[in-house]
Amino acid sequence: MNIREIEVHGHKIQVSETGSGEPLLYLHGFTDIHGAVDQWQPFHEALAADRTLIAPAQPCCAGSAENPDLLSIEDVEFFYLEMLDALGFETIDVVGVCIGGWIAAELAVRHPERFNRLALVGACGLFVPGQPIADLFYQGQPFNGTSYAGLRHLLFADADSATANDFIPDAKGEVEPELTRYKAFRFAARIGFRPPYLHDRKLSDRLARFQGPALALWGGEDHLVPVSHGKAYRDGFGDGRLEVIPGAGHCVHLEQPDAAAAVIGRFLSE
Amino acid sequence: MPSVQLFCWHFMAYPHLPEDFDDNFETSWAILPNAMWDAEKSDGLYQEYIDQLVYADELGFDGLTLNEHHQTAYGLMPSPNMIAAALTQRTSTAKICVLGNLIPLHGNPMRIAEEYAMLDNMSGGRLIAGFAIGSGPEAFTYNVPQPQARERFWEGLDLIVRAWTEDGPFEHEGRNYPLRYVNPWPKPKQTPHPPVWVPGGMSVDTMHQLAKRGYDYFLSLRTHGRVTQQAVKRFADVLETHGDKYQPYRMGLLMSVYVAETDEQAREEAEEGVWYFLRYMLKGHLRREGRQFTFGPGINSQSVDTWERYLQNNDPRSPLLGDLQNWDEVDAAGAIIVGSPETVRKRLWDLLEMTEVGNLLIQFHLGNMPDHLVRKSMKLFAEQVAPALKRDSTELFARKYPELGEGDAS
Repeated sequence: MNIREIEVHGHKIQVSETGSGEPLLYLHGFTDIHGAVDQWQPFHEALAADRTLIAPAQPCCAGSAENPDLLSIEDVEFFYLEMLDALGFETIDVVGVCIGGWIAAELAVRHPERFNRLALVGACGLFVPGQPIADLFYQGQPFNGTSYAGLRHLLFADADSATANDFIPDAKGEVEPELTRYKAFRFAARIGFRPPYLHDRKLSDRLARFQGPALALWGGEDHLVPVSHGKAYRDGFGDGRLEVIPGAGHCVHLEQPDAAAAVIGRFLSE
Repeated sequence: MPSVQLFCWHFMAYPHLPEDFDDNFETSWAILPNAMWDAEKSDGLYQEYIDQLVYADELGFDGLTLNEHHQTAYGLMPSPNMIAAALTQRTSTAKICVLGNLIPLHGNPMRIAEEYAMLDNMSGGRLIAGFAIGSGPEAFTYNVPQPQARERFWEGLDLIVRAWTEDGPFEHEGRNYPLRYVNPWPKPKQTPHPPVWVPGGMSVDTMHQLAKRGYDYFLSLRTHGRVTQQAVKRFADVLETHGDKYQPYRMGLLMSVYVAETDEQAREEAEEGVWYFLRYMLKGHLRREGRQFTFGPGINSQSVDTWERYLQNNDPRSPLLGDLQNWDEVDAAGAIIVGSPETVRKRLWDLLEMTEVGNLLIQFHLGNMPDHLVRKSMKLFAEQVAPALKRDSTELFARKYPELGEGDAS
């Protein structure tokens, strides 16, 4: 694995790379590399088996600098266009998880010519009437000062599972994991705290602008972004499909890494 | 020589939460179901609270303090300016300190500039203009993106003071509140403008921002002791880096007080209100138990660096004020001072002597405390505690700050 720094619009961005082969851009989510735990997971390693996985940390997350000028999802899109240039990608395949998926979808509807294949995992970003995205920020306040059980419930099918507790342990007064999580919340708050909460109401209507192959991968028990959002992505894109892995939650890529990586691997090599 | 300035702070708590509140609700902030609002029992509540503040003016308190909170039983003043407006017409000498309007929550800071200018004129120049960022619960209630809250706050405050002091119309080109024609009518009565107070925890960044602009610092911590002294020292050091010098009226402190004839009687009379305040009002705010928004990582306005320092110095498992378990702990925390006039005088004097802070902002109404007890406590304080504090602080300030004049107390 190699970690380097690039500069995007004057701001330091940490880029982690692993594997070899054709480049695959990876935009992380909240409970992911550069999010709650800044390490590659089996899911990423499986994707990197025949691709070079390139994962920039979102601004403010992990080793990336905070950019005070990012006030909306549109600001983030322009920032990412410069990041694509800085990384040297004319066109690229992209995997985006949660917020990373939302960003990928926004980029793809604006610049469809720059994306070959688009895989979204539990992506927020859409408005689906009567199917709101659950409140990450409320559950970000630990119960009794320490318990993140509510947050684990949003992010995992089973809040009590070992995986859930590995990624979102209760607060123990340890600075580093608390700070890593804080940074991820802070980036999310920039684009998702003020309603429209973690979505862009106009995105659904724009999805058809991306006519390339698009995959929505969802955990059947996603308590944060309902599966109906996966269906909306599938139906909105010009060439969309939806794969649901039963028994997994929002972090399907952490809960069932082999199955999730296999679905994405098949899609990318179709 | 001027003496310590004594303010009566009213939070206007909702006093009718059910006895099983603590078992069934994780917070009294933001999402506490408003079906619990009892209109019948609350009839006359604002009148009772306003009357208590009017009484403070009659008793000779130097100031009355109000603040802004939303969607909470902790304080029923989403618009403190309305209470302040009522006070302008029913009080005659006390300063009216609104601490403060929460700038980032509101769409256009000029509304705050206008209302404060009105209050200053309506009160004959008695307004102290407080401004605050708003803490976790308010951010949550109004969905203010916290990474931008501080930027919105300082831009808004600078715009307000500029609008008060610079002739309009002028154009404001800020990125948060761009305005073509800034030209408020009326202007404030006080010149160049009402005193500006801003609350802060221990953040050095806030202190620098205040010092740069010459404003006064209200320490929002409720527990007192060595940390209070550290805050004063830190602010004094910050002032010096800006070529300014600390003096007592540059800072204010908050505490709660209950005075009765004897220590035993004071405890007996205060205890119910104290526990209602600590367990119910602070749930969601300064209490770990339940869902605590004030220092919540999901909705905090602290920069990453400031939050890192907070994590280094605070364990999320350590109890807060609202987690106090018994009366000995209440007594030791120094946040709520309960006792005879002599006990209260001595404890306040110890704090004054140690910190040399010239504004004490004192909460007399605690939780669900009945009106007659609140009034009795205020009266005993005014007659048997305040005079000694005034006398001794005059001597202390004259000795330590001989340059102070009569007009320095804001």
